[in-house]
Order: sequence, then structure tokens, then C-alpha cells
Amino acid sequence: MSGDGPSTDGDGPSTGSDGTLDAGDDGDRAPDAGGGGSDDGRWDAARRRLVRLGQTSVGERVLIAFSALVLSMAVGTVIVLVAGVLATCRDPALTIGGSTLCYDPFFVFDRLFLGALGDPLAGGWSPLNNQFAATLRETTILVFTGLSVALAFRAGIFNIGTQGQLVVGALASALAVLWTASLVSGTLALVTLIPVGLLAGAVGGGFYGAIPGALKAYADANEVITTIMLNFVATLVTRYLVRNHFADPTSQATQTRTLPDAGQFPAILFDPRTDFSILALLLALAFVGGVYYLLEHTSFGYDLRTAGIQPAAAEYGGVNAPRTVLSSLTLSGALAGVGGALFVMMTLGKFQTGIPSYGFDGITVSILAGNNPVGAVFAAFLFGVLKSGSNVVSFATNVPPQLVGVLRGLIILFVAMPEFFRLIGRRLAAGEPESGAAVTAGGGADD
Amino acid sequence: MTDAGLVNSLRSASGRLLIAGVAGLALLALGVAGLVAPDSTAGRLFFVLASKSTLSATLRLSVPIVFAALGGIFAEKSGVINIGLEGLLIISAFSAIYGADVTGSLWAGFFVGILASTLLAALFAVVCIEFRADQIIAGLAVWLIALGLAPFASSVFYGGPNTTNVGTLDTITIEGLASIPFFGAFFDASPAVHLMLLAVLASWYVLNRTTFGRWVRAAGENPKALDTAGVDVSRVRYAAVLLSGVLSGMGGAALAFNIGQFTGNGPTMVNGKGFIAIVAYLFGNYNPVGALLSTALFAGLDATQLRLQTADVIAVPDSLVQTIPFVAVILVLALVGRTRLPEAAGDHYESGEE
Repeated sequence: MSGDGPSTDGDGPSTGSDGTLDAGDDGDRAPDAGGGGSDDGRWDAARRRLVRLGQTSVGERVLIAFSALVLSMAVGTVIVLVAGVLATCRDPALTIGGSTLCYDPFFVFDRLFLGALGDPLAGGWSPLNNQFAATLRETTILVFTGLSVALAFRAGIFNIGTQGQLVVGALASALAVLWTASLVSGTLALVTLIPVGLLAGAVGGGFYGAIPGALKAYADANEVITTIMLNFVATLVTRYLVRNHFADPTSQATQTRTLPDAGQFPAILFDPRTDFSILALLLALAFVGGVYYLLEHTSFGYDLRTAGIQPAAAEYGGVNAPRTVLSSLTLSGALAGVGGALFVMMTLGKFQTGIPSYGFDGITVSILAGNNPVGAVFAAFLFGVLKSGSNVVSFATNVPPQLVGVLRGLIILFVAMPEFFRLIGRRLAAGEPESGAAVTAGGGADD
Repeated sequence: MTDAGLVNSLRSASGRLLIAGVAGLALLALGVAGLVAPDSTAGRLFFVLASKSTLSATLRLSVPIVFAALGGIFAEKSGVINIGLEGLLIISAFSAIYGADVTGSLWAGFFVGILASTLLAALFAVVCIEFRADQIIAGLAVWLIALGLAPFASSVFYGGPNTTNVGTLDTITIEGLASIPFFGAFFDASPAVHLMLLAVLASWYVLNRTTFGRWVRAAGENPKALDTAGVDVSRVRYAAVLLSGVLSGMGGAALAFNIGQFTGNGPTMVNGKGFIAIVAYLFGNYNPVGALLSTALFAGLDATQLRLQTADVIAVPDSLVQTIPFVAVILVLALVGRTRLPEAAGDHYESGEE
């Protein structure tokens, strides 16, 4: 599993000697059903190597995501039940057949979902309620980390370092805003600070993404490992920088000074105490459109996707593979960095160590969305619900909020095994023709 | 092997030589400095490095990484890339503590840890082999599940991400031999260290000298031939992945009993050791002894940074010194570049019978 994402693959994929990204292929039986273009032959191998998630049709993708979600909730219910039996507590939440349970899974999921939306079923619900604002606040950041992972994924690169890139972008953004604020004031500050912060976040994150990019492009170092290692390095180096050079002298916490108001996203419509700005969400949606356009309608996007699907063909077609790897990871890191900038300029108002694991959630968001930028919005919203709902859960019950972390992993696991759902689907629809053909024919989304 | 492949393996070989050479030269230079000028920074650094306690710490820190690396070798040799080693370490570290707490016996806890890790590995195996999931994604899922589940369970049972302390394994000390300078560390160590050395030798023997080892290698290199020979490729892969669970379980349990407690904040007490293990076996070229040696490099750096923090030799802030092992892993990966992985690693194999 060393340095061989498909995009720098020199051996030619037909040998199948470098299977890092091989999606446990059904390529052996399905490719003939593929897109039906004249260059079918050349793309057979491509399809085999394509990450499975990108291979499925939008309909099936949504179905798989939904099934994975339901299944994760089911497993989550079992976990909460078992934990409820094993835990000891003063006042049990549920009594089933004489045995007492500390946690009530249905109440947990009720709080997780309805709570995150601000109880829409209760009377007098308004979309401007504070819990819904918290959900949208989390969604905004998750859109960026989801886009970051998705963009790299489309280029055939596993960027597990979104977390580190977000952390570096966040610190860069905080420092840039604080420094600029010392130079400008008044209206000038109002129009410069936020753009400066966003730009610094993008540059910081982009730089930090470029490191594993260059290592992969020019030294064949596997990006899964280097990006994970760089996450640790980012945490440690930012902690050092803040503690030793940029600490807020008035605070015990390891954090920078608070940004001036002009450097923070203004609260519009929503209560300012929720730390949510609709402007930031709109910015996130604009980035979604931008990334979609970049991937689907520019020659760079075409190169990137080709490098992801079929590196040998891409190189044959004149794509500079190392440069594509480098620029995709840089862009991916920049997206994560903007997410970090928003975390600083909207959520916290300063940089503080111990940033939540938005980057890892971004992996789930991207995988759930089948690496599609538009799908990432929905997946990010779902995860925004989970993250904000977990606070409601820990407020309303004694169930540890880490439950959401478990669900995050379970969802990835279930989405990663579409074959499982196909099997169930086939069992349910016994007698109907094999669905493989219909499945791959929909792969057109990536052509 | 293609030209590109040849170039790559040459580069890998020269990368390994380069790293070994640089490490050797650095030690030599420090040794000279230590003899010539014992009071210089370099000299004092040498005495820190050459002390018995640094070797002790290196061995102690190596245990979880080596066990996970051995597990990773079996899985990947059989054709299943197990990137979820980190998750296996996390789950076994917690379960071992919980098991020890409930049963009152550390060794019983040790087996509970192994059991938990093996169960999670079994889930991973089913998902990859039966349901043909992408191995990298499934491995990440294993990591993230454990990263959520262990602190969750800890909060359920202990009210927070950190468990209670159940005590540590008693060290085995052989009087006399233990007082040998430097190498005395081998005779004054936790039984986990001896278990690790034993596991390295056993793994080497199993992989290279037994029928099972031959099957594992064939399942990764040429599954078709193995299938033709009448051996069920899936079963061999299941066995190898389960074995990676057992071995990682030993590593996680040993890690937890090293301090007697599971700590589950942030990246948990495992803190990337499972990923370092992957680089260790890649750098060790899938050889158990090689994995031990490359782990010793990373763990040695980690031990040095721990000692530097206490010995006050060089005034570098903790946070920066702590990055040393991670940076070393990145450098090694960049210098070694692509290693030749088993021909069919990452591929799903389906026998013609279906």
C-alpha cells in the first residue's frame, strides 16, 4: 500500500499491481455494461480502478447512503441499548422486562435529530431557532472539509489530512486578521479583514496540503500516511506557535487574542450568540458551485478526474501527473483552510488549540456524498445535525456524546460496502435480473 | 519487473541504505563528540542516547508498533491492506483495561483486549472479503469506529474518556545481566517486551518456513495459483486478517498496561502508533525483523525526545520535540518511496466457482 495512488502509477494499471485504490472490483463482470462509448475498451480498465463510490448512479448512491445511515442508526441503537444495560446510573431511563437501562435509544435519536433542528414538531417552531443555527454553523464548516476530501478523492487521492490543513488554515487566518487589524481601522477594516482572513486560511491550508502533494508527486510517498502524520505535526506545531509566540496574555487557555468585530462574520437573521452567520453558509454554497464548475466544466477538472480514474490514459493524453497531484492536494488543502478560517472568524472568534475533528467528519461527508460536491451539501447538513444534536443529547441524557464518533465510523463502513446492499437488494428482489448492468451504466456521472 | 519497477526498488533500497547510513553516522559522530568533549551538547546527547534507560524506553515504546506491524505484514502479505491497525490498537487498549478491571487480573484483561481487537478485525475481514469493500475506506472506518467507540465505552463505564488505573505488568529482572550497561535493558523489561521479541521471531518463522506462511504469501502474490492448488484464498485471507487482529490486540493491551490506564482524549493514547506501524513494515520490506528494526528507529527517536524533555540537554519546546517521530516517518516514506507490495494486495479475489 505504499506510494501508489493511481495518479502517479507508472506501471500501467492493466497489471493491477498497485491496488491501493482498487475498489474491490466488480470490473470483471460489469465493465461491458459501461457507458457504451466508442472508447469502451480503453475505459474498461478505468472502470475497474475507479473508486466504487464514483461508479454508481446517483439513484443508487442516494439509496446506499440512506441504507448506510439507517443501518448505522440500527447498530447505534444496539450500542446504546447494550451500554444502557452495562452502565450504572441513579435513575434508569427505560425498563424492559424487569431489567433497567440507563439510556433510552429512542429518546437519544429523538434528541439527536429533532433536537438538532430545534424541535420542528413542537408548536411555534421557527427556522431561526438557536439549535438550528448551531446545526447550520457546523454544516458550514463541514461543507468545506467535505469538499476538500471530495476534490482530492476525485483526483484519486486520499486526503486524510484535511484536519491538519484546517488547523493550519485556522491559525494562519487568525494571525493574518490580527496583524491586519493592527494596520487598518473603520470601514477599511470592515472590507479588508474578512477577505484577508479567508485568503490567509486558503494559503495556509493550501501550503499544508502541498507538502503531502509534493511528497506524493515527486517522491512517491503514500499520501494516506503522510497526511495522517501531518495531522499530528499540525496539532503540535500550532500548539507551540500559539503557546510560545501568539498567546493571549489574559487567558489561561492556549489561544490567540480575540479577533476584532470587523474580522468576524456578522450574525444576520440569527441570534448573534449562536455564532452562526448566514453569509458564511452562502459562501460555502458558492464554493460548492465553484468546485462543481471546476471539476465538471474546466480542462483542469477534466485532467484531475482523468488522473483519478485512469492515470495512464491521463498521462498518455498529455496530463502532467505529478503536477496534477500537487495541485489537487494544494486545492484540497486550501478548501480545508477556508473551513478553518470560517471556524476562527465565525465560530470561535479566535484560534484555540483542540479544534474539533471536522476533517475526519469531512471524510464521511465526502464518502456519503459519493465525492460529489453538490451531494456534499446534504451530507454536511446531515453531519451538522449529528454534531449539533450530540450537544442536545449530552444535555438531555447521560449518553456520552462520543456516540456520534461511532456513527461516523459506522456510516463510512456501510457506505464502503455497497455489495452488501446489492446482496440484500437481490435477495429482496429475487427473480429480477442482475442489477450490475444498470449500476455501471449510470457511471456516466464521471465521464 | 518493469523498468519503472526496477528503478523504484533500486530507489527504495538506496533510500533504506541512506537512512541507515545517516542514522549510523549521526550516532558515530555523537559518540566521537561524547568521547572528545563529554560536556558539549552533542556529548551529553550521546550519553542520553547510550544510556540503558533510553534503550528501555525504546523497547517499551516499540511494543505496540511492532505488534501492529507484524499484524499488518500478515494481512497485507495475504492481499488485504489493513490500514485500520490504529483502530485495532485503540479498541484493544481500552478493552484490556476494562477486562482487567472487571476480572481483577491483568492477564485476563490482556486476553479481553486481544478478543476485542480480533472481533473488530473479523468485522473488517467480512466487509473486505465478503462484501468487497474498498480496503482503504473500510480500514479508515475501523479506525474511526474505534476512535469513537473506545472513548464512548470509557465514558459509559468510567464517566469520562479516561479509565481508572488497573496497575501495570511487573517487569522481569534478571539480576546481574540487568546491570550490563545499555543492553541490560533487555533483562530488566516488561514481559510485553519479551513477548514482542518472541512474536517477531515466530512471525518470521511462520511466514517463511511453514505451509501457512506460503499460503499467505501466495494469496497476496498469486491468488489464482493458490486457488488452482485447491486452497481457499478467502479462508487464508480471513486467517491472516484475524491474525492481524490477534497481534494488534497484544500490542494494544501491552500499550495500555504500560501505564495501567486507557486515555481517550483526542487521538487517544494510541496517538498514531498504528499508522507508524504501517510505515515500519513498509520500511522493513514486509520482513518481521526489518519491521522490528525500523520500529526501533521511530521508537528510539520517540524515546530520545522523551529523555530530552527530562534530561534538559537541548532547550527545544516540548511541542516541537514531540513532532520528531512523525516527521521521521514522513522522511522515511519520502526517501524509500514506493515499496513493492504484494501483487494482488487491495484486489478482491473471486474464485471461478461463483
